[in-house]
Amino acid sequence: MCLVGPNGAGKTTLLKLVATLLRPSGGDAHVMGHSLLNDPDEIRKRTGLLTVRGFLYDDLSAAENLHFTMRMAGLKPRREVIARVLERIGLAEVADNRMRTFSTGMRKRLALGQLLVRPIEIALMDEPYSGLDSQGMRLVDEVVADFKAAGTTVLLASHQDGEAVREAEKTGILRRGHLEILPESEPLSRHLSVGGPAGAPEVD
Amino acid sequence: MSVLHRAWAIVWKDLLIEARTKQSFNAMVFFAALVLFIFSFALGPDTELLQEVAGGLLWVGIAFTGLLSLSRTYQNEETSGGLEGLRAYPGDSRAIYLGKLLGNIVLLLLVEAVLIPAAGILFQANLWPHALGLAAVSILGTIGFSLVGTFYSALTVNLRAREVMLPLLLFPALVPVLLGAVNATTLILEGDLMGEAVVWLRVLGAFDIIFFVICIWIFPIALEE
Repeated sequence: MCLVGPNGAGKTTLLKLVATLLRPSGGDAHVMGHSLLNDPDEIRKRTGLLTVRGFLYDDLSAAENLHFTMRMAGLKPRREVIARVLERIGLAEVADNRMRTFSTGMRKRLALGQLLVRPIEIALMDEPYSGLDSQGMRLVDEVVADFKAAGTTVLLASHQDGEAVREAEKTGILRRGHLEILPESEPLSRHLSVGGPAGAPEVD
Repeated sequence: MSVLHRAWAIVWKDLLIEARTKQSFNAMVFFAALVLFIFSFALGPDTELLQEVAGGLLWVGIAFTGLLSLSRTYQNEETSGGLEGLRAYPGDSRAIYLGKLLGNIVLLLLVEAVLIPAAGILFQANLWPHALGLAAVSILGTIGFSLVGTFYSALTVNLRAREVMLPLLLFPALVPVLLGAVNATTLILEGDLMGEAVVWLRVLGAFDIIFFVICIWIFPIALEE
């Protein structure tokens, strides 16, 4: 499912509510049968959140950041899993470089790697295309397609056009905190900013 | 995975970052040395007076230096989205408190390992005969300081005026620790002929146990709110 809406509509807030990082000021909701208020830990076990900045540390290397993610998620860190994920996100060659030296796009790729390094049932992605070049945007589309094939639900909030946005089974618009399903008569492009779709020709 | 395993992951991450950047350690040692120098110059060359107030001066140095460390406790989380990054993981949030607490204790004890011998030289006091007693006060006092400090620094991490709010909230709660630590240190340095230092060590031990239970109990509530 894709979420669109103007700035300040509440897309990030909604994703953070689902990830149980924010408490609802009123009412409750259930994620896979678990209450946001009463059972946040069960939800955290099943969800992974990709934020604009990512939950990453500048003075750890790419491999160490993923190692820490696995340990905090309650998994035993395994070199082969980390190496496979780094290969998948195109950062295998800089695995031991500190993240401080990374560009915005590389950081975004590593943040994406945090979703891949542990098993999740719901992937929450906030502006996954931001800061990425066309190759990076294609990587996001491939990861979303892989999630979909594996039966993982993806809830994606984006301003930018991309395959994952266009291929979403449902598109919701947030307007002043209210969620509506986009009517078929309303073109999706009206809600997306110009940012170059994924798969656009690379500039050499 | 248990709370302790996740806490250990946080300690590993924080100490690895500190070992690479030495951001807190260098600043703390420099600041503590400065505080001790200023006091020793202000009090002049009177050796007897210096030895009399050495316990108090030492803990003033430790308290100010510790404050510097506490205000940075959650600083390296800022690049990773603040405490949200740690809260996004499943498991008991007490692991965050425990991990940060252990990291603070280790860092402050390392600084004290430099600071206490330096104070001995500055105040012309022979500390070797009292090494065991001083180590006991140092460990119990540092645990007490870090227990309260780590808790309050989590509470103030998102405040704009956190540099002001942290000492305002922290120091009143630290009165029993500082009182116990200063008295025990002074008695130990004076030879503790009546064995009174043990009483203050017990006060410190009791404070540590009580505040450990309270902080561990209310940290998840404080974090969620």
